[in-house]
Amino acid sequence: MALRIWASSTANALKLSTATRPHFSPLSRCFSSVLDGFKYANSHEWVKHERSLATIGITDHAQDHLGEVVFVDLPETGGSVTKATGFGAVESVKATSDINSPISGEIVEVNSKLSETPGLINSSPYEDGWMIKVKPSNPSELESLMGAKEYTKFCEEEDAAH
Amino acid sequence: MIVASYSCLSYLIPPWPIRSNSGRRNTSRRAAVSQITSAESNPLVQQTNIRRCNCYDMYKEVIPFSEAWSWQKSIVEKRKTLIDINEDCSDTLIVLQHQPVYTLGTASSENNLNFDIKDPPLPLYQTERGGEVTYHGPGQLLLYPIMNLRFQKMDLHWYMRALEEVVIRVLSSTFSLKASRVDGLTGVWVGDKKLAAIGIRVSKWLTYHGLALNVSTDLSPFSRIIPCGIKDRGVGSIKELLRESNGLSSTSGYHDDNDDDGKLIDIAHESLLKEFCEVFQLELCHQSVSILRSPDK
Repeated sequence: MALRIWASSTANALKLSTATRPHFSPLSRCFSSVLDGFKYANSHEWVKHERSLATIGITDHAQDHLGEVVFVDLPETGGSVTKATGFGAVESVKATSDINSPISGEIVEVNSKLSETPGLINSSPYEDGWMIKVKPSNPSELESLMGAKEYTKFCEEEDAAH
Repeated sequence: MIVASYSCLSYLIPPWPIRSNSGRRNTSRRAAVSQITSAESNPLVQQTNIRRCNCYDMYKEVIPFSEAWSWQKSIVEKRKTLIDINEDCSDTLIVLQHQPVYTLGTASSENNLNFDIKDPPLPLYQTERGGEVTYHGPGQLLLYPIMNLRFQKMDLHWYMRALEEVVIRVLSSTFSLKASRVDGLTGVWVGDKKLAAIGIRVSKWLTYHGLALNVSTDLSPFSRIIPCGIKDRGVGSIKELLRESNGLSSTSGYHDDNDDDGKLIDIAHESLLKEFCEVFQLELCHQSVSILRSPDK
């Protein structure tokens, strides 16, 4: 009985049918893009390594699950990042989430457009929504990240489990 | 590692398949057990896979915001270490009231303050949670769940809706108040009045900050802010709504007002813990609050 009430009230709030198990993540997660040539962390950040510079952002899958990003908190240029440690935050749905760096290094550039237009993360997660550019201190860390196919499979498994 | 004496309260929690089986627990093995008040009297407790939640329950105490914030951050750091070595065995819940304070979220705008941010009428804290400015004060119950969403559902939207569900059930089942969600406006509403505000921070799927429910709160400090950035709706409390539905004006006083407020808080608190356990499928284990206060935690 409790289950039906919960499902019904939630479904009404979200205009979903109660015939299936309610879930709140949009179906479009099945079609999140994953780009070849990028590397991916299991916390849903991407890295594009070109020559001696690595650009970092969050993936299409991540922004899709977050919903509309209303605020991005990024570090200053000249600071450093450490693999698997938070370097900033994104806010959506009254929840602010850490962003973790996939690699370690020195921050050489920060995307200043994101403070005015945080929605770039939603509309262009791999291009205009890039967050920081880093000079990697340990390029071998890139080897332990996932490639496009592996990351796609990781997302599918993660979504299927929940 | 925190070790202390505790008493376990286990609530009857029927299987709730909306949160899918993450593989870490098997809901089909969950037995229907009677509500118990002590772990040792029912051997079935150990056989269920309900996740444990350490509860620091100070619901009658009025705690400074900075102190509670510091406790949360300390617990979060410890839990992250446990998560990294796959030994995060229990969630955490802190329940309390706050001394009067305004708090801001990461993106909070000064435009939502009806005072100079450099000269606030009450202590003002810029926090790392999401959401806009809000007020906390006596008569308002705060729930700070520190939840590993890997054991729930790794979905922030789901988590926010689940927190709202806890309050909606409390208001409905205990106070017969018809509460609802509003599309796009996180929180719990009765009519156009917001009774509960929610704002959280997530780090590696570990949540903190949480929800605030107005029970018998003095709502006047809300007039110095645009609560949660919402201009065309108001803020309410359980006490105010119960008075309205009983045909009492907001100014009709009774000499035992404090007693009534105390009872409302007691009832709301009990219902909040019950519904929290049910929605999140948790077993509360009450911890001594001296653990939080001792320097060597």
